[in-house]
Amino acid sequence: MRSISTSIEANEAYLSEQFNRCSDIILRSFALKDDTVMLLIYLDGMTHMQGVEDNVLKPLLFGGLPQGLDRMQSLAETLRREWLPMTNIKTDESMEELVHHILLGGLGILVEGEASALIAQVQGYETRGIQEPLKESTLRGSKEGFVESIRTNMTMIRRRIVHRQLKMESYTIGKYTQTAVVLAYMEGIADENVLTEVRKRLDGIETDGIIDSAYIEEWIENNSFSIFPQIQNTERPDIVAASLLEGKVALLTNGTPFALLLPVTFWSGLQSADDYFERFVFVVLTRFIRYIMTFISFALPAIYVALSTFHPEMIPSNLMIGIATARENSPFPTVIEVFLMMIVFDSLQEAGVHLPNQLGPVVSIIGALVIGQAAVEAGIISTPIIIVISLTGIATYTIPRYSATLPFRIVRYLMLFISGWLGFVGFAFGMMFLLIHLVMLESFGTPYLSPVAPFDGKRIKDLIIRYPVWVKNGRVKKGRAR
Amino acid sequence: MIRLALAVVVVIVLTLSASGCSDFVEPNQLAFVMASGLDHAENGMIEISHQIVIPSQLKKGSPGKSDSYFVMSAKGKDIFDAQQKIQRKLSRRMLTSHRILLLVGEEFMKHNQVSVMFDKLGRDPANNLRDAIVMVRGGSAKDILMLTHPMEYLSSVAAGKELQINGMKSFSSRKLVIDSLAEGSRPIIPFFQIEKIELSRAKKSPVAVLSGFAVLDKQLKVKGYLSDAEGAKALWMIGRGSSDGITIPWKDGNGALSFRMTHMNRRIHVLRGQDPKRVELTVAAQVYLLENTASLDMSEVDTMVMAQHYLNDYVQKDLQGTFDKMQRWGPDVFGIGEYLHRKDPAWWRSQKNDWDENFKKLDVTVKAKIQLRSSGIIGDQLK
Repeated sequence: MRSISTSIEANEAYLSEQFNRCSDIILRSFALKDDTVMLLIYLDGMTHMQGVEDNVLKPLLFGGLPQGLDRMQSLAETLRREWLPMTNIKTDESMEELVHHILLGGLGILVEGEASALIAQVQGYETRGIQEPLKESTLRGSKEGFVESIRTNMTMIRRRIVHRQLKMESYTIGKYTQTAVVLAYMEGIADENVLTEVRKRLDGIETDGIIDSAYIEEWIENNSFSIFPQIQNTERPDIVAASLLEGKVALLTNGTPFALLLPVTFWSGLQSADDYFERFVFVVLTRFIRYIMTFISFALPAIYVALSTFHPEMIPSNLMIGIATARENSPFPTVIEVFLMMIVFDSLQEAGVHLPNQLGPVVSIIGALVIGQAAVEAGIISTPIIIVISLTGIATYTIPRYSATLPFRIVRYLMLFISGWLGFVGFAFGMMFLLIHLVMLESFGTPYLSPVAPFDGKRIKDLIIRYPVWVKNGRVKKGRAR
Repeated sequence: MIRLALAVVVVIVLTLSASGCSDFVEPNQLAFVMASGLDHAENGMIEISHQIVIPSQLKKGSPGKSDSYFVMSAKGKDIFDAQQKIQRKLSRRMLTSHRILLLVGEEFMKHNQVSVMFDKLGRDPANNLRDAIVMVRGGSAKDILMLTHPMEYLSSVAAGKELQINGMKSFSSRKLVIDSLAEGSRPIIPFFQIEKIELSRAKKSPVAVLSGFAVLDKQLKVKGYLSDAEGAKALWMIGRGSSDGITIPWKDGNGALSFRMTHMNRRIHVLRGQDPKRVELTVAAQVYLLENTASLDMSEVDTMVMAQHYLNDYVQKDLQGTFDKMQRWGPDVFGIGEYLHRKDPAWWRSQKNDWDENFKKLDVTVKAKIQLRSSGIIGDQLK
């Protein structure tokens, strides 16, 4: 640990060596009227230059030190206390600290003959403005979405929960990225055990860099090998605020608009912010549809294969004959046909995500015309399978959170294979393994399937019927993590 | 440990599925049997006929000239034997679970122990027991299966729909099995006859028509036939009718009244007294006047009450006649025995062994409780 020297030449030499070949570093030394040499050091583009010029350079160069003010023991201290009109400013003797703050976009001021540096937080870099969240749009409710700057994100939560119990603990994670991470929670509402566990896991992260909150998610989640997400991500400050009030814990990460929420359950992935913004009777209907569609999204291809190739007697006669008619000349077995179409569907999705916007329609045309219609007309794929796959695809996107759809897209394949091999027996096996896995899963001490398993009659009501808000308010339990 | 278990599972799943160790049957490897017929054959054999759909003929746009089904039949010692013989002639595996119609020939009923049929029906899980069971009078079941229907693509589909649309849903093979096994009730099944129907000037085609009901005894031997009209009355008394129409002539041959009947049901009621029991069978319905050629002014309340009284009396007399006719045959298709069994088990024990004979001696009166709900949208006749 090197401390700052009293010699400004030595300090300048050291800093120049530290920032060797950093083309954006600026070391600007100048002399005051009384020949005191000062050194400003900052990264170009990271600081608010106008402020630096107005508040530091101009007064010092043109005005010099105020009249009648003698050189005190520490010029830096004087500047900090009386001179510079900035709020976030401090002095420090450590060179490491100085370098760190310069890297963060601070301004360092060194004075000849003094062994401490003045560090001013004058960060001023270009950031994206607050925009409507694209991934989680709602029909009603706030149009604000998180941005990449963690400070802005914190203010968005602060503005929603105006209470001193809202705590925001700061962490710095990543050897090279030094990413700021903030642990936000409502003191007295959030579960202390969860908080202790989260703090422990955050402290345990040893990594070179955190580029996105997803990195943190993978570091701290309970079971990394599960296909189900055990931490929810959101770019909506209103969801974060609501979750904090429910007793959840939020993690904000600098550099990403996605905040993490934990602990979560299986069901939170199936709930949308809109559920709480629309009239509750309607929400009962949409939730009902969503639950059915969730089942369809992973089970329909498997059920279709199991029914039509293993248990044709279970399909109503007219429908079965319809299916048989459509499949009369199909060259592949049903299970292979469904598998092919699922691959095609998933690749269309993948292509759609990566394509530049202008090429989007191309994929739709190729997908709809070539793969859909032409394959059917050529007799390679039968119509019922197109219907099954399309319905499955639509069902997948009735799940409101994108990351909650992913496990079902994987389970869909597993279910298809096992049902294509063993029929409904296989389907039952698949469901059994899925449920076993789900009941074993935990998110920071909360069973993943709760409140269904373990059963909690009071909280299960919110799963099926969303009661009016005033009913729920009477029921929020203190200190209970959901 | 977990990793090893996972690896083993993955390997098993992959080897078994990749090597084709799976027993799925594609729909194009199946022959869907939509109707079956049972006929009597010589030398103690039975003949099974299966009506099988040809899915490729049902495809939209394919020329509709050829039939969308074919009938395959074979003779055998029992049902399974005959079925195996059919299977050998077919390129696809037969699937009988989708059958909607089971036809039994009149000759078969006469010559065979029908329990032969029931064993297969009840034992083989491939029978869904929901198929309608219908007798064929004056012809063989095979003939009917081969008929085309002017409207439906299969004669069996037509028959199934015909039964349903006329409010006769409860003639499934399951119901027949239950009726014939119960001690205090006997089965009744509808029968088909082939009728030549003129569909247009140029076309006259034979069509299977639901033309009545057969009353069967415990051994499923036919004891008597009811015409279509009598059958409707009988069904009402049995409690299987749900909706129907009725036309009654008005006093002194002055026109007629026609009603639509809904909420049809019946109630059995035993009157106090000893052996022989006196039973009262009450039929109830709600009726709506649909046609009035008797010059009655239905806007008058008194006329309506009178019409209702007259209707009740008429129906009562009419049904009593039908009941007496059926009672003389012996089999208790009404399930009065079941009712008495529950009401007086001790008495029933002495009766059940010869119920068909005892049923004939039973004193049953039919009562009608019909409510006239509406006289239509005009009161008096339009003049």
